Amino acid sequence: MSETPSTTDIHDIELRSSIDRSLRHPVMFFFASGSVWLVLGILLGFIASAKKHAPEFLDCISWIDAGKVDAAHLSALVYGWGCQAALGMISWLMARLTRKECTASGIILVAGHLWNLIIMVGIVAILAGQGSGVTLMAFPSYIWVSLLVVYLMITLWSLVQFQVRDAGHVYVSQWYLLAGLLWFPWILGSAIFFVFASEGHPLMAAAVAAWFKSGVFLLFLLPTALASAYYLAPKVTGRPVYSYNVALFGFWALALLGPWAGFQRLMGAPIPQFLPYAGAAAMVLILIPALAVGLNILKTIQDQKELAAQSPSLRFTTSGIVLFIIFGVLSFGLNTVPAIKMTQFSYTGYGLDILSIYGVFSLCAFGAIYFIVPRVTRREWLSSRFITWHFFLSLYAVASIVCCAIIGGIIQGQGMEDLSQPFGTMAERSNSYGWGVTIAWAFLLVANLVFCLHLLLMWARLGRRSSHPTLLQNHHPESPHGPEGEIDNIGSVNA
Amino acid sequence: MTFKAFILGMLATFGLPWLFAIVLPFAEMRGLESPQLDEEGGYYDPGRAERISEGSKVYGQEGCAVCHSQVVRPTYAGWDVHRGEWAGLRASPDQPDDTRRETLPSDYFDEAVAHIGEARNGPDLSNFGRRVEFYQKGKEISAEQWVYLHLYNPRGIKNYKDDQFIPAKSTCPSKRSLFDQVPLYQAGDDALALEADEEGFAVIPNDRGRRLVGYLLSLKKDTLGQPLPKDWTFTREAPKAE
Repeated sequence: MSETPSTTDIHDIELRSSIDRSLRHPVMFFFASGSVWLVLGILLGFIASAKKHAPEFLDCISWIDAGKVDAAHLSALVYGWGCQAALGMISWLMARLTRKECTASGIILVAGHLWNLIIMVGIVAILAGQGSGVTLMAFPSYIWVSLLVVYLMITLWSLVQFQVRDAGHVYVSQWYLLAGLLWFPWILGSAIFFVFASEGHPLMAAAVAAWFKSGVFLLFLLPTALASAYYLAPKVTGRPVYSYNVALFGFWALALLGPWAGFQRLMGAPIPQFLPYAGAAAMVLILIPALAVGLNILKTIQDQKELAAQSPSLRFTTSGIVLFIIFGVLSFGLNTVPAIKMTQFSYTGYGLDILSIYGVFSLCAFGAIYFIVPRVTRREWLSSRFITWHFFLSLYAVASIVCCAIIGGIIQGQGMEDLSQPFGTMAERSNSYGWGVTIAWAFLLVANLVFCLHLLLMWARLGRRSSHPTLLQNHHPESPHGPEGEIDNIGSVNA
Repeated sequence: MTFKAFILGMLATFGLPWLFAIVLPFAEMRGLESPQLDEEGGYYDPGRAERISEGSKVYGQEGCAVCHSQVVRPTYAGWDVHRGEWAGLRASPDQPDDTRRETLPSDYFDEAVAHIGEARNGPDLSNFGRRVEFYQKGKEISAEQWVYLHLYNPRGIKNYKDDQFIPAKSTCPSKRSLFDQVPLYQAGDDALALEADEEGFAVIPNDRGRRLVGYLLSLKKDTLGQPLPKDWTFTREAPKAE
C-alpha cells in the first residue's frame, strides 16, 4: 500500500461507502428479519422431527400437528430465511459489483415488509390447516402471485443496476446473480401457473411442484451463495480467482443441469418416463459444477489458510463450499436408479434438502452477512466468541442432521426393499436416527439464537465503533479486511 | 462472455427443458384418454365413490403426504407391489382373486394435486380404503368408524387386520382438529366410541373430518371389479427373499 492515497483510491472508498450507506436499511432489514425466521424455522424443524419418533410430544396443540408443522418448517426456512437472506445478498452484491448506488431503497424496504407480512399470513394459514398441501408450495394458493409481485418489486432495481453498469469486464459473480434473478420468477411463475392456476393432470401438477422445489435451491439460493463465494474469496485474500475459465465452466454446467432436476422424486409414478430419469441424471451430474466451483474457490484461498481461519466471512464461506462438494458427491451416489429405488421415500431426501439449504446456502449466507453488516452499519461485530459458537455449533449440527437423516433413510429403504421385514420393524429400526436428527436441531437452534441476537444488536447499531474487524483470533497485526480506520478516516490514512 | 451470449445461453439451457419437460408433458397429460380395453370399445375407467376432491384437499392440508406415500411403483422402481397388501388384496379363502396392480394415471382423477408423498414413515395408502373395508367387514366397528378412531388416537385402537393391539408403535399424529366435542343429545348417531374430555359430551367428526375419511375410504387402486387386460399386468414373481 502506498504512503499517500491517490485521488482515485479516495474516490473508490467514497463510492463504496455511499453504496453501503444507500443500502443500509433494506439489507439490514432482510438479514435481521431473515434471521428471526431462521430461528422460527429451526424451532418448527425441531418439533417436526421430534413428532416423527415421539408422536405424543406437544400433541395437545393441534396447530402444530405433524404434517402441518413439517410444511411450516420448510416454508419458514426457505421463504422466511433463505429468500430474504438471498435478496439482501443480491441487492448488496449487485450494487457493489456494478458500482452503482441504490436509488430505490425505500421501495425495497417497503417490499421487504410486504414479503414478511405475506410469509406470516402463509405460515399461519398452513398451521391453521388452510395450506395447499403441495411440497414447498404449502402456502394457500391465493398467496403466491403476491409473493411473485413483491419479489419483482425488490429485484427490479438490481436488474436495472446491471443494465446501467459501466462498460467493461463482467465478473462471474454478476453472471450468477443475474441468472438467479431471472430464473426465480420463471420457475415461480411456471409453478403458480401449472400447479394452481391451470387445470391439468394431478400427476403433472405434482411433477411441476417437485421441479420447483429443486429449482428454488439449484437456480436461486445456490447461485446467490456462489456469487457471494466468488466475491468474498478473492476480496478477503487479496488474490484473483484461481481460474476464470473454470468459473465460467462451472456456471454453465449448473445452468445446463439445474432446470432438469427435481423429477427424480416421482420415479415410478405414471408420468412420462423420461422425466424422472432426466431428473436423476441431472442430480448425478451436479457433481461436475460442484467440483468445478469447489476446486476453484479452494485453490484461490490455498496459501492463505491462516487467513481463512481468522476471517469469519471466509471461514463460513469456505465451509459452505466444501459442503457443496460433499453435496455433489452424495447427490452423485444417491441418485443412481438402484439408490433411488431404495431411498425414494425415506429420510434421505430430507437430509439432502437440509444439506443444501443449511449446509451450502446458509453457511455461505452467514459468510456474506458477517462481511456485509459491518460495512453497511459501520460497526464491528461485538463478540468473536458468538461467531465461533455459531460456526462450530452450526457445522456439527448440520453434519449430524445430514448423516443421521441419510443413513437412517438408507436403513429405512433397505427395510422397505427387504420383503421379509414387516413394515413396523423397519420403522422402528430407523427411530434412533430420528432421535439424532432431533437433538441436532436443538443444537442448531442454540447456534442461531446466538446469531440472531448478535445480528439484532448490530441492527440496532450497538456494535463496536472501531473499524478494526472482528477476527477469530486475538491480536493479529494485519487485518484481512483492509487497514484500520479505512472508512472513518478517509483521506488521512493509508488506503 | 458478452451479455448477448449470456442471454442466448440462458434461453437454450433453461428454455429447452422448460418446453420439453414442463410445458409439453403437461399439455399431453391433460388430454390423457382412458385406454381402450378391447376391440368392442370398452374403456378402462375405474370410477371412485365418495367426496374425493374435497377430501384430497383436507389430506393435503393436514400434511398426510409428509409421512404417507400414495404410489405403487412398477417393479423396476421398487418392490411396493409385493409388500403386504399395499397394491391390493392377495388371494385368500375369503378373496379368490389377487387384485394387486401398479398405479395408473387415472388413479388420481378428481384430485387437484397427486399426493405422491415424501417419505414412508407410515404405510403406503394407495389401497387403504380397500384394506380397511375388507378386514372390518362383519366386525363390531365399521370401516368408517375404524378410520375415525384411528385419526382421533392412532395408539388407542386395534389393528384392522388381525386384532393385534397397536401399542405405542404408530407414530401417526392425533388429529383432534378433525373432531368436535358436543353434548350427547346433539351427537346422536354420530357419536364415536370414544371418551370425550368432559362428562356428558361426545366426540363427533366435523366437516373436515368427514371429508378426509370419505377420501381415505375411496382409496382403492386395485383390480377388484375392474380386471386389467392381460398384457398390462406386472411381474407377479416376488424377489427370492420373500
